[in-house]
Amino acid sequence: MPSVQLDQTPRQRWQKVLYKKQPFADNYVDQSFLEKLRKNVHARKYLYWAVVFESGVMIQQLCSVCVFVVIWWYMDMGLLAPQWLFGAGLVSSLIGYVFFDAIDSGAGRNESGRTRWADLKSSVVFVAFTYGFSPVLKTLTESISTDTIYAMSAFMLLGHLIFYDYGANAAIVSSTLSLNMAIFASVCLASRLPRSLHAFVMVTFAIQIFALWPMLQKKLKAQTPHCYVVITFLSAVSALVGLLTISSVGAVLFALLLVSISCLCPYCLIRLQLFKNNIHGPWDEAEIKEDLSKFLM
Amino acid sequence: MVLKVFFPACCSLAESGLLVGRWIPEQNSAVILAVVHFPFVPGQVKQYLAEVHHVTQVEVSVLGSWTNSKQAKEENLGRFLEDLSTIFSHDPWIQLSRKQGSKFWSCSTIWKHPSGDEGDETTLVYYDQRKVMLSQLHPPLDSEVAAASSLDRKVENASRLMAMFNTVSQSKVLFMKDRYDEGPIKLTHWQSEGVEASIIVELMKQASVPACLLVTFLLSLVSRVCQSRALTFWPLSFIWSKLSTCQQLRHRLQHLQVISSPKKAPDQSQLMRKANIFVSILLDVTLGILLMSWLYRKNRIGHLANALIPMADHVAQQLQDLLQWLMGVPAGLKMNRALDQVLGRFFLYHIHLWISYIHLMSPFIEMILWYVGLSACLGLTVALSILSDIIALLTFHIYCFYVYGARLYCLKIYGLSSLWRLFRGKKWNVLRQRVDSCSYDLDQLFIGTLLFTILLFLLPTTALYYLVFTLLRLLVVLVQGVIHLLVDLINSLPFYSVLLRLCRSYRLASGVKFRVLEQEAGKPLRLLMQINPLSYGGVMQAYRLPTYSCYPKDSWGSLCKKLFVGELIYPWKHKGEKQD
Repeated sequence: MPSVQLDQTPRQRWQKVLYKKQPFADNYVDQSFLEKLRKNVHARKYLYWAVVFESGVMIQQLCSVCVFVVIWWYMDMGLLAPQWLFGAGLVSSLIGYVFFDAIDSGAGRNESGRTRWADLKSSVVFVAFTYGFSPVLKTLTESISTDTIYAMSAFMLLGHLIFYDYGANAAIVSSTLSLNMAIFASVCLASRLPRSLHAFVMVTFAIQIFALWPMLQKKLKAQTPHCYVVITFLSAVSALVGLLTISSVGAVLFALLLVSISCLCPYCLIRLQLFKNNIHGPWDEAEIKEDLSKFLM
Repeated sequence: MVLKVFFPACCSLAESGLLVGRWIPEQNSAVILAVVHFPFVPGQVKQYLAEVHHVTQVEVSVLGSWTNSKQAKEENLGRFLEDLSTIFSHDPWIQLSRKQGSKFWSCSTIWKHPSGDEGDETTLVYYDQRKVMLSQLHPPLDSEVAAASSLDRKVENASRLMAMFNTVSQSKVLFMKDRYDEGPIKLTHWQSEGVEASIIVELMKQASVPACLLVTFLLSLVSRVCQSRALTFWPLSFIWSKLSTCQQLRHRLQHLQVISSPKKAPDQSQLMRKANIFVSILLDVTLGILLMSWLYRKNRIGHLANALIPMADHVAQQLQDLLQWLMGVPAGLKMNRALDQVLGRFFLYHIHLWISYIHLMSPFIEMILWYVGLSACLGLTVALSILSDIIALLTFHIYCFYVYGARLYCLKIYGLSSLWRLFRGKKWNVLRQRVDSCSYDLDQLFIGTLLFTILLFLLPTTALYYLVFTLLRLLVVLVQGVIHLLVDLINSLPFYSVLLRLCRSYRLASGVKFRVLEQEAGKPLRLLMQINPLSYGGVMQAYRLPTYSCYPKDSWGSLCKKLFVGELIYPWKHKGEKQD
């Protein structure tokens, strides 16, 4: 009986299954074995300037943190009067508020359904609570050493940068946590300032730069990309100039960091994309891509 | 199956006669209760036994015959005994005979309906009738039974023994007849030389009835006064429930009611309970009166009152020093200076208030102590409870500090835990009992984080105040706990049972042991039954008096958790816990 089967074997085609008894050696494969192999299915071609444009979010956030620290330094040194900062912040907030609605001519506001009364209420809450708590904030960390406060603030600002929502779809991103860490850092730093008015202005400024400014940025980026590029450039320059007045070495290092993020990193990404070698095939684990709910009904 | 004959040791010298006892067919054993002597009229014996059966509900019957060969020398006695078996028909008919000079007794059983097991062995078990009648057999305790591998067998053995003990103890009427009684029937048993009794006991029995009635009347008066509406409206009833003196008095009142109830105790355990309570109260009052006599001699009350005020002052001074220390830089800890000052001044003001009250009260303290000391005649436990209450009242400021500290700390801990969730962008979902993610508004986030920061930096200060005052509070609770433990010990210890175990150890039996007397082939095995006394642990477990427990039943773990979270701890139990 086996001999009869052996005679018929050359006619049979090899099948890529294990459940059948086939007249081939165990390690036999034929031409069709790897024909379903695919390479770099999900690899994307990036345009250099597009990547540079997208890195603007990160530049902006770095610059915000830098400007915040520089302003705090000026306040701590007594070089900047809190009234000036408060006035400047108020004016820029009002301008930003007008811009925020003017850019998309009120479409976003209609969509979210948020009234101006709610905005006013929120701002009153901000100002009232900050002003009310500023004497408490002033004495809050009196007995804690300055180095501890600096370390805590640096740690919190770093956390703010790490968890910030840059547009990537990752599990680590949490805009709530990021904002909370920034506010915590600002409260810590504000408690080191000489008077309670300083602390109040500092915390208000922190809300403007960490909570309100990114919202306007997002809208600018979506609606008027050219304007966004200009603003990114301006904020980078202002952060650098501010840093230069404090420490030239720091300014140089910060400039290098910005350049490497906006120019070097996109270049590296595009170059490394060439070496990408992902293989896909029928052995991949199953992925549910379509929405199956219509079948479930 | 071996035929067992339980034979009272006191009857071994009795003259020849009939064996009277109970036959327990399930165990194939006969419990001999007494020996009826010759001469008798069979009809009268039967009638007497029927009377006994009617009174005791024990199936007493003639089981066989007893021959003491010192007297019986006639040859025809054998025939006579067999004739007896036809008169008192019993199955089996046991013939016990004792030969003079011989250690071994002979025993023969005659079965009316021979069922093939004629060749059964017979075992003679001697028992001390007096001890067995008076002793109270305790079934094996649960823990012991669980430890034993053969659980069922042990329980079964216990129930067999119980049947035998019950037979002896229930036929008390049979033993009331001694040799001096005029009557047609002469019996030999443990009391046949004369019934044991005491004139004092009889007199006290007679006197106890009117005494009980009087006490009951007084108690009903007292309890009516206690339950009157004037004393039970809201704030007072709350205070009563928190004072340990009131609880102790109520407990003792219930005890007195139990003792003085004119109803007879239904069973042995109730009787023991009454006796235990009685001895406990007696001891308590004796100790209390001793204490009182010590206190009122040489004006000790006055000295005590004079020492009390300086002591309270001293404690307050120490507390002030402690607060001053906390307001500085205690142990090099970094506290928030502003909050520290506020809290310190608040507590200092409280101490100031407290000292003024104490000084306002100082002229009356000696008088109050003098009258309170009189309550010691109600018992040592009442005096101790009053002491505990006085300690609680004198350390009221510490309690206040503790409550303020704990509330503040609790608020902070709860605030921090929920704000920490907000800080991470989460919230507690009450419906699903889990932490969910949640998107907050900007102003919510801002205020939440601001408060979180402030609470976080103020936490060490609050925690330190909480820690110090909790330690003080725990010290007071510890002292009160020791006093309550002492009171509880006096309340719950079964003194009467312990005394009984100490002096009359056979009265509380946990089982029996058998000692082999003689053994020889062809003759019945002779065993001596001895009573195993109950262990002291067993006595405690069986007769411990139930008490109101006023000390907390928290486990150490839950106590630590409560302390950490800042929940209040009390020396007494909560009402809700008391019910379950």
